[in-house]
Amino acid sequence: MSEHATSRIQAALSRRRFLQGTTLAGFGAFLAACSGGSSPSPTGAASPAPGDTTPPSSGPQQPTGPLNFANWDAYVDVEDDGVTSPTLVEFTETYGVEVNYANAQIEDNAGFVATIRPQLQAGVDTGWDLIVLTDWMAAKIVEAGWAEKIDEANIPDAVANLRDELKGLPWDPNQEYHYPWQSGATGIGYNSVSTGRELTKVADLFDPAFATKVTLLNEVRDTLSLIHRMLQAQGLASDNPSEELTVEDVQAVVDYVQPFVDSGHIRAFTGNEYLADFGTGTTWAAIVWSGDLASSAGPDDVFVYPEEGSNIWTDNMLIPKGAKNKYTAELMVNWVYDVERAARLANWIYYISPVNGVADAITELDPEAGDNPLLFPPADVVAKQHPLPNWSEADESAILDLFSTLTGE
Amino acid sequence: MRRPRWLIPWLLMAPGLLWLLAFFVLPNLQMVAMSLSSGTIGTGFQLTWEFNNYLGAFGRFPDNFRNSLVYGGLATLLTFLIGYPLAYGIAFRGGRYKNLLLFLVIAPFFTSFLIRVISWRIILGDNGPIIAIARDVLSLVPANFSIINTPLAVVSGLTYQFLPFMVLPLYVSLEKIDHRLIEAARDLYAGPWRRGGLVWGAAGGALLVGVLLFALGYADPSLDGLLGSLPVMVVGGFAGAGIGSLLVSESFVRVTFPLSLPGVFAGSILVFIPAIGDFVNAELLGNPKTQMVGNVIQGRFLQQNDYPTAAALSFILMAAILVAIAIYARVLGTEELTGGRA
Repeated sequence: MSEHATSRIQAALSRRRFLQGTTLAGFGAFLAACSGGSSPSPTGAASPAPGDTTPPSSGPQQPTGPLNFANWDAYVDVEDDGVTSPTLVEFTETYGVEVNYANAQIEDNAGFVATIRPQLQAGVDTGWDLIVLTDWMAAKIVEAGWAEKIDEANIPDAVANLRDELKGLPWDPNQEYHYPWQSGATGIGYNSVSTGRELTKVADLFDPAFATKVTLLNEVRDTLSLIHRMLQAQGLASDNPSEELTVEDVQAVVDYVQPFVDSGHIRAFTGNEYLADFGTGTTWAAIVWSGDLASSAGPDDVFVYPEEGSNIWTDNMLIPKGAKNKYTAELMVNWVYDVERAARLANWIYYISPVNGVADAITELDPEAGDNPLLFPPADVVAKQHPLPNWSEADESAILDLFSTLTGE
Repeated sequence: MRRPRWLIPWLLMAPGLLWLLAFFVLPNLQMVAMSLSSGTIGTGFQLTWEFNNYLGAFGRFPDNFRNSLVYGGLATLLTFLIGYPLAYGIAFRGGRYKNLLLFLVIAPFFTSFLIRVISWRIILGDNGPIIAIARDVLSLVPANFSIINTPLAVVSGLTYQFLPFMVLPLYVSLEKIDHRLIEAARDLYAGPWRRGGLVWGAAGGALLVGVLLFALGYADPSLDGLLGSLPVMVVGGFAGAGIGSLLVSESFVRVTFPLSLPGVFAGSILVFIPAIGDFVNAELLGNPKTQMVGNVIQGRFLQQNDYPTAAALSFILMAAILVAIAIYARVLGTEELTGGRA
């Protein structure tokens, strides 16, 4: 063969080998990427298959890890970098176990439970050791038998420091399956400069002066119960307490609100997005959650507990069935019920702490926080606070259907 | 032993076919079964051949289907109108900055999709920059005009999100055009598209403005609405005529555009199909009356655990898209699509 042909074949061979090599490397990288983190956690560290865990030995229990902890957004104290949490870092230093904290993994109860429901129904590990769900969803999980019983011997602080008002709930009377993480209130938020006056009632939202500047929550239980109580105050609804809303009550609420939605007076049904809307001046008044405005609002944004009564809801810690690191999860439950730590958490999250004695402890960290009514509602407000309604399955689908005619879905 | 020749194509396609079978065919069969079932998530779903699910689903959400088709169609049209000049500029006039310009088109995609939509809430907000310019500086709109939570916001969001999907196929298609054909057209006396540009431009401009006004809800679908929007349509007609007769050349109309039709087809499908099924833009930028089919499907699946209705809606949407694409392909003509001849 001529030199030219030989060198061409040599070049072709080396090019082929190069292509083969890169293909193999690419395939290997693809496999590695596939088997690595696959859940959409923003911290990037949460993968549904936790690291290896040692089975509990017969002696004193050792915490196993890493602890897979799914929570809502802005629900744990963070340093200025927005990622490291002093509470979780100290937990790791004390027990030697990493905490896989999936911030904002839970954006809404139904959406998150939809991701773990197949595993729970099949009775396999969901990949999470500790999750935080609102009352009504926590009730469903407990009633379906999908929550692990918490061993009281491992949580002395939690048992001692839990506030009495949060004990004895109908769906878990002996406090065996859940412990509250934070409570919050639902009320009215408004921008005092744009509205030009004080708002005190849910009925103020329907003031014609605020047309197209009002939003309601797309959380069906909050919106329906607040408007039901407003109609009761006006004599337009039945005497049912809002915890026991019936389908007829909801029909009355929908009939009242529909014209306002059609005319555009109620501009949208939002989740936390209302915060951005208050910032841009798109929304002047809305049904809001207490902590959001407390921690992130502008100087003119005001939160009020409406005269007709506000809602109190609690996000609860649960250990899903089949959790690999149950003991570590129990340690975490106990960890956040220490009064000093609970005060530090509450001072950052700015919601209502479930731990006794936080009101005094928090004044040392931040004197104003102890007087903040959003964190420590005064007694007259507490007297008018109602929990969220709980419905049977048949009622729930009928009510959700009615609500979807309002939201257009 | 000689390998039988007929086996080789099948062996080559085997990985792709198996992947399609496992991750497309089987899940779709399961969803078809679900769409014909009844029951609740508590009691379980049983296959009861409930064809009523389809009729019921379509009957209960006609507005949502209409919204999806209208907003998806408008988004496709607007991405085409914005993306074609952009792709043309990059391909024909980009020179050594082509790669940089293409990168700038794709650069927003590096941020999360959700962040982009939420940031549009702020951009289109009542005190945001766009309203400030339109209302305070130019006084084009009355004081209580708002963009956020209107169909205009939804369509704007959709157009913005899907613009790269239109620009890139168009660029690829325009890049391949042999410039000697355009030179030849000019040699054969191709000049500005005067008469055709005037007529088609005026008609197109007026029609575009009219469609936008009616579809986005700024004009009533009645005679009064039509009369009220005539002035703006006339302005649109003039603008279109100006662009058509002065800026468009005959060589573009007869040579460049027909040669780029495969790119137009590819770009339109890449925008139209995801745009109709989108739900994030309608949820975050729209209001209860602008909800699309995607929102209903999401709500049925996640909030109300009504899987049969959601599955039925998904298949109705799939069927509608297939029909629309088939008609579109027939109208454009299959030879142009495969680039056979102009």
